[in-house]
Order: sequence, then structure tokens, then C-alpha cells
Amino acid sequence: MIMTAIRRYCLGVHTVVAFVGNSVSYLMPVLACVVAFEVFSRYILDEPTIWAYDVSLFLFGYIAALGGAYAQQQRAHINVDILYNKVSARTKGIFNLFSFALAMFFVVIICKMSIGKFEEALEFNYRRQSEWAPQTHHYWLMITVACVLLILQLSSDWINSFHQAITGKPLLLAPSQESQETQEGNP
Amino acid sequence: MIGIEALTGILLVCIIAAFALGAPVGLALGGIAMGIGYITWGDALFNVIPTTLESTHFSFILLAIPLYIYMGQLLTRSGIGDAMFNASQMLIGRIRGSLAISVIVVCSMIGAMVGIIGAGIMTSGSIALRPMLERGYDKRLALGVIMAGGGLGILIPPSIPMIMFASSTQNSVGRMFIGALVPALITIVLLIAYVVISCKLNPKRAPLDAVPDVLPTAKEKLLTARDGLLSLLLIVAVLGSIIMGIATPTESGAIGVVGAIVLAILFKRFKPRMVQKAGMQAALLVSVALWIIVGASVFSNFHLLMGVQNMVAGFTQDLGLPPIVIIMLFQLIMLLLGFIIDEFIIVLICAPIFTPIAVALGYDPIWFGILMILNIEIAVQTPPYGFALFYLKGIAPPDVTMLDIYKSILPFVLLKLCVLITVMMFPELVTWLPDLLMD
Amino acid sequence: AEHNWRFANLYNRGTAFGEVYQNLADNINTMSNGRINVQMLYAGEGVGQTGILGSVKTGLIAMGAPFQSMHAGELPAGVVEVGLPGGTDDVGELSTLFHEKGWAPILKEAYGSQGLVWLDPYVQPPVYVITKDPITSVEDFKGLKIRAPGAYGKFLRNLGASPVSLSWSEIYTSLSTGVIDGSIGSNIIDHRDGNHVEVAKYMYPLPLAGAQVLPIVVNRNAWKKLSPDLQAIVEGATAIHAQEQMTKSILWESEALADMQAKGLKWSPEPSDADKVAWKEAGMGLLDEYAASDKYSKQLIDVLRKEQQ
Ligand code: NA
Ligand code: NA
Repeated sequence: MIMTAIRRYCLGVHTVVAFVGNSVSYLMPVLACVVAFEVFSRYILDEPTIWAYDVSLFLFGYIAALGGAYAQQQRAHINVDILYNKVSARTKGIFNLFSFALAMFFVVIICKMSIGKFEEALEFNYRRQSEWAPQTHHYWLMITVACVLLILQLSSDWINSFHQAITGKPLLLAPSQESQETQEGNP
Repeated sequence: MIGIEALTGILLVCIIAAFALGAPVGLALGGIAMGIGYITWGDALFNVIPTTLESTHFSFILLAIPLYIYMGQLLTRSGIGDAMFNASQMLIGRIRGSLAISVIVVCSMIGAMVGIIGAGIMTSGSIALRPMLERGYDKRLALGVIMAGGGLGILIPPSIPMIMFASSTQNSVGRMFIGALVPALITIVLLIAYVVISCKLNPKRAPLDAVPDVLPTAKEKLLTARDGLLSLLLIVAVLGSIIMGIATPTESGAIGVVGAIVLAILFKRFKPRMVQKAGMQAALLVSVALWIIVGASVFSNFHLLMGVQNMVAGFTQDLGLPPIVIIMLFQLIMLLLGFIIDEFIIVLICAPIFTPIAVALGYDPIWFGILMILNIEIAVQTPPYGFALFYLKGIAPPDVTMLDIYKSILPFVLLKLCVLITVMMFPELVTWLPDLLMD
Repeated sequence: AEHNWRFANLYNRGTAFGEVYQNLADNINTMSNGRINVQMLYAGEGVGQTGILGSVKTGLIAMGAPFQSMHAGELPAGVVEVGLPGGTDDVGELSTLFHEKGWAPILKEAYGSQGLVWLDPYVQPPVYVITKDPITSVEDFKGLKIRAPGAYGKFLRNLGASPVSLSWSEIYTSLSTGVIDGSIGSNIIDHRDGNHVEVAKYMYPLPLAGAQVLPIVVNRNAWKKLSPDLQAIVEGATAIHAQEQMTKSILWESEALADMQAKGLKWSPEPSDADKVAWKEAGMGLLDEYAASDKYSKQLIDVLRKEQQ
């Protein structure tokens, strides 16, 4: 009963994170177009835009932050796997308990700080310092969302590793099997 | 209060422990800084996070990373990257390691477009790693070539660390860019020589392409040449957009993306799905790279707020050593800093502290700056903490382990060390060309 | 020490301006007999360029020397404080404006509303624009692509130029390849340090902002923890610092100018009276816009307007 609930939780997290991860990929061509448009507008039309600089930086931040949870799901975050690759599945699970807890500690702090920044940005109407001066509150809200997603994914992975540390087997299928639908893998 | 030396020691131990457990690098660095920081400083330290996030995500310089990675992914997925290598191999002829040689050449051209290490390695890796592995190249050779070639991004102008060095020591950027050309050329020649010689000695490292049953017809050859030429044209266009003042080095990445899509349409290989898949992969890589940068910056900002720069300044006081020994000592300090600090921070801390001393000893500041850049190139690829290592791991297929990467770098680090020592012994290698062109 | 402070400024380690801030830190140390220990943080040493104000607010660092344009979106009144384009370069006039006409209390309140203590400001040299081609009349600015952030961008737009946003480290390459036709620098010294004269040779004689007024800010909680005598010591050291900024920056500005002239820098021809009027008007055109940005900016600009009548 409890196991089913936990498994559902993990699968639910998996689905949401994969959805957001996929959606972020559509921002990539948008980012390239914005920067290319600025070059076009400045060089061909002789009219540099006032918005492209900030828009491209916002898009960059959104892609970079929101993709974090999906990267964790795909185990794409870089780690030094020298010792890790030599130990048993069970020991790997124990290692993960430490690593993911450390990672979660960091992300929880980021989350807490960005909620604070979000409220501050609303209260004082914070903007970018550029001529265009767009508001920045949405950036902090986005960082908060990105952190919540990453925390959810890490918690699901932590549970999975806990199971693996005790039983020697993962709770869910390995991420590569679990996500054949969405994973593209490296070329 | 804990001293900075002790703190640095504790941080280093924590890094090694977390790395050994296989923790995600960026998140672990951030976690360690916040944990140790909470104990030594208190929760006021957490306020370092918003300012670090802003200065990372709102950095127009780092924007080169997504643009160039996306260009690299589009080139690979549309097969344009392959066309480029096929043609350049045809040009070099059927010798062992020809593909690795063309990779070095392409990396040098990418190095002339980008100004930071990350964009160089991840673009070169996207385009060139898979072709080498598919043709049975030795994994270590393939990885090492990408690492060494991609690292050229900061040695071949334009280069952001050089601009940082020049402005913080009040030297000419132009002199520095020109001064770097000879050392860059030496590096490229040495890399190619290494590939040729090591493949001769150990043929298994780079299998020759099987002789096809039917020799390619003149028409097929012509097609390869045409495709290759068109792809090289893309690189020329991107480079041209920088040189002709159409775009900044960062923006030129977007020109590359548009160019890659146009080429894919010309080659009749364009599919909307390809654009999306390349976007997916690029977004994943960008996110991986940026979470490392965020974690590492939080870490180094904490370390700096605690005063690590004063420790470095302290080392250099009252040395009383022969001048060249002092220069060598500086190189050693920078290499050691590379164990725990990233490249921009090394320039930021060391350039203003070391350069006046070197100049007072009678050395040329531009020469000293180039030594610093060569040194950083080595520092970023020496384990355990090296951004070049992390970027390469990010771009490599899943079956490449960090140990493969660590092992792959040895000969290339030695090569770059050779360049460093050669340039240290013969300052004219740096000073000759700018003196010739600028005075 | 009873109080361990961190103090961030925007200059690189080893630069002349960096040393002036270092002297302020050292002065506080010695004048307080070591009761306040101030550790200096130079550019990039733990706090980003745009993060100084925020970091002092939160108490990550106790003291900061921010450049208000970097915080235009956080504390708009700071942009009026530093000097809107077209403003005066008369130091005496500025001093009256702050201390007698009422700017100081308004700014104390504006910074105070965000948890900051505003200490006496100091003056730095004016902002100039450097261009690849000579500017013979204000008309020549039409269509020029000039790297100029925030208020300076708006000012140049009023003159018909096209402001471009670029990061500082791309100015050199962009001037050299022609992506931009010119760039502002936060002062002449900044142009020299950025090596801009290698790739752009002409400086326009009219400054964008006459003299720049910059504040030293302190975290309110850190300030409250000081006994009144220590507060007086910090204020005293700040006043000495303001004096040093004034004398040294005049010297360094002329040195930087000489350095650049040795490398081929030329002034664009002297502007005509009509040019000067157009220049002034482009600046006045910004007042309404900035007055509308927040209540403190409005109060400052109201004082300025009363002055002009
Ligand atoms: Na480069
Ligand atoms: Na290293």
C-alpha cells in the first residue's frame, strides 16, 4: 500500500519533470532567433533593438535553470565516477543517499533565497538596469519553480536509492529504461 | 575564527570526498560551500546565492555556450559535421589519424570563433567526438584531441581571459591577441605531430578507413567535396561575421545556428523534428554546464569572501629568489589553484598580484599574460577539478567514464606543458610578432 | 576586532582607484584602533558588479561602493543621484545641491527604505563617449551605434544615435570589428584600462554626465551595532576618502588622457553653441521620464527644477 503510494509519487514526479524538460527544449530555437534577429536588426536595418539583450539573457536563464531537474532525471549531471563505477549496486545506493542529500540541501537554500528575492522584487518593483528595464520578479519565480522541480526529482531519486541500498535493487526501472520515450541520449 | 589556509584544506578534503562518492559536481560544490559556510559564518552567507545566480545567468559572455552548443548539435544531426570531416579527410589523404588531424584543424577554427573554454570544448565535442569513436579510434586519443583542441578557444583570439588580463593589468588587448598567435600555432603543430607519431607507433589507436570495395567515382568524390566545401563555408561565414563586424563573438553563435539550418535545407536533410531534438540535447547540455557554473561560482564566491585572494597575495611577499624561479613559482601556484578554482577566478586573482612583480623583475607583461593563459589551459584539464573535464564528460556518450577522461589527458597535458616551458624559455615567441606588427 | 566588516568596490585589485578604497578601509582600521576590521573585496571577489547593493542590503557584506547605474532597476533614485546626462560638472554647485538644497536627506530616506545607510557621497570624473570616427556636429550622432547602457542610452537616443547593449568585455572586439561605432566608459580612466584607444581614436569633448556622484553604503544592522563614537569614525574616514577621490581622480584622469593621447587619441572638434544646446536639451528631455520612475526620483528632480527656475 505504502509502496504503491511511493511508487506513484516517483512516477508522478518523473512525468512532470520530463514534461517541463521537454518544453524547455523549444526555447532553444527561440533563443537563437532572438540573438540572430538582433544582429539582423542592427546590421541590416541599422536599428538595434532595446529588448533582445534582456530577452536573450532571460531565455538563457530559463533554459539553464529549468533543465536542471530533467538533467538529474537523466543522470546527465556530471559526476566523477571513478570509485562509483567500481562499487556494487547496493553501495551505489548508499553513496547516492549522501550525494542527493547534499545536492538537496543546496537546492533547498537556493529555493528559499529565490522566494525571498521574488517577494522583494514585487515589493520594490525590481527591474533590469538596461534602457528597456523589464521587471525581474518572474525570473525569481522561475528559479523557485526550477528548484522545486529539482528537489522533487532528487527526493524521488533519494527514495529510489534508499530502496536500492536496502534491497540492492532499484524501486523503479533504471532511468534509461524508464524513459526510453523521452531520452534522446548523446550522439 | 578559522584561518583561510585551514579552510582551504577542509574545502579540498570535502570536494575530494564528494567527488569520490560520485555526487553531481555543481550541486555538491554548492552544497559544500553552504554547509561549511553555515558553520563558519552563519546563515547570512546564504545571501551569496541571489547575486551569484544573477551574475551567472545574466552573463552575456556565457550566452555563447547555448548558442554554440546548439549549432554543434544541429551540425551533427543534419550530417553536415560528417560532410565537413569527409571532405577534409579526402584532402589530407589516406594516412593514419587523418580524422584526428582534421578534428584539430576544425577545433582551431572553432577556437577562432569562441572566447571561452566551455563553448570551445562542447562545440568541438558535439561535432567531432562521435565520428572518431564510430570509426574505431582509441577512446583516449579521441577524448584527448577534443579536450586539447577545444581548449584552444582561449589561446586563439578572441579570448575573454586575455581581455580580462589586459584590462586588469592595463596592457594592450591587441598585443596580447597577436602575441598568442605563435604559441597557438606551436600548440596546433605539436598536437598534429603527436597524433601522427602516436598513430604510427600504435596503429590500433587510429584504424585506417577500410578500402571500399568499389572505389569512389569521380562524381562521388565531387559530391563529397561540394558538401564539405559548403560546410566549411559555414565556419568561414561565422568567422567572417565576427571579423567584418556584423556580430560579436557571442552573437556569432546564433549566425552559426541559422547557417546550420540553411545548410540542412540545402542538403535536403532538414526536418522540424531535427531542430527540436537538437534543441532538447542542447538544452540538457546547457543546463548541465550552467548548474556546474552556478555551484562552482557559489563555492568560489564563498572562498573569496573568506579571503583566499589574500592567501595568494601572502605567498608572493618577500620571496628573495632568482627572477626566473619566481616566474616558475607563479606558474606552480596557478597550477595548484587550478585544483580548486576556475579559470576566470585564477586570472582575476593572479593577474593583478603577479604581473606587477614580473614586470618589476624586468619581464614583458604580455609574455607573462600568455604564460598565464597557457597555464590556465592546463589547469582546466587537470583532475580532479577542471571545467574542461566536466564539459567533456557532459558531451561524451554515456559509456565514457570520468576515468577514461582523466587517462586521456596525460599526453596532451604534457604537450601543453612543453609549450608553456618553451614559451617561458624563449619570450621572443610571444613578443616578436606584436613588435613586428604594432611598432 | 569587535566588528569584522567586508567592503566591496568595483575596481580590480592593483588599480589606482582600488587603492583609494583600500585606504578608506585602512583608515577605518587605524582610526578605530583596530576595533573595526575592514576586509577589502575587489571586482569579482565574491560579489558580482550588479550585486553590491543587494549584498549590502542583506548583510552579506557590511559596506559597499556601488555604481548606481548597475542598480538602476533596484533603486532608480540612484541614477538621478549619480548625475543624469547633461548635468553639471561644478563641484561647488553639486555640494550645495546635496547639503543645502536638500538632496542628502531625500537620498538618506531612499536608501534607508531598502535597509541601507547612505554615507556622504564622493565625486568621480565625468562620463565620455569615444568613437571610431570624429564627430564634427551633434548631427553626426544620428544612426551611430554606441554602446551605452540605461540613462546614457536614452540620452544618446534623444540625439538620434542607436544605443547598443554589450557586455564590457566585448567592447574592445566590437569596436575593433565595427559592430559598434563608439562606446561610453564610466570615465576616461575606464576607456584607458579597456584599451579602447587602440580601436577607436576620437573622444567627444562634451561629457555625458558632468561629474559623477557616488555613495558609500553600509548595511543598517551593521551600522546600528556600532557605538556612536565608531559611527563618527566611519563617517570621518568617509569624508577623508571623498577628499582623496577628488584630488586623485583629477590627477589620474589627466594621466589616463595623456596615456591615451600618446597612443593616438584625439578630441573631436569643439562643439558649436547649437550643439551644446542640443546636448543640454537631450538631457533635459529625460527629467520627466525619470521623475515618473519613483517617488524619490521625483523629489530629487523637483529640487533640480526649482534650482533652474
Ligand atoms: Na578564441
Ligand atoms: Na584543475
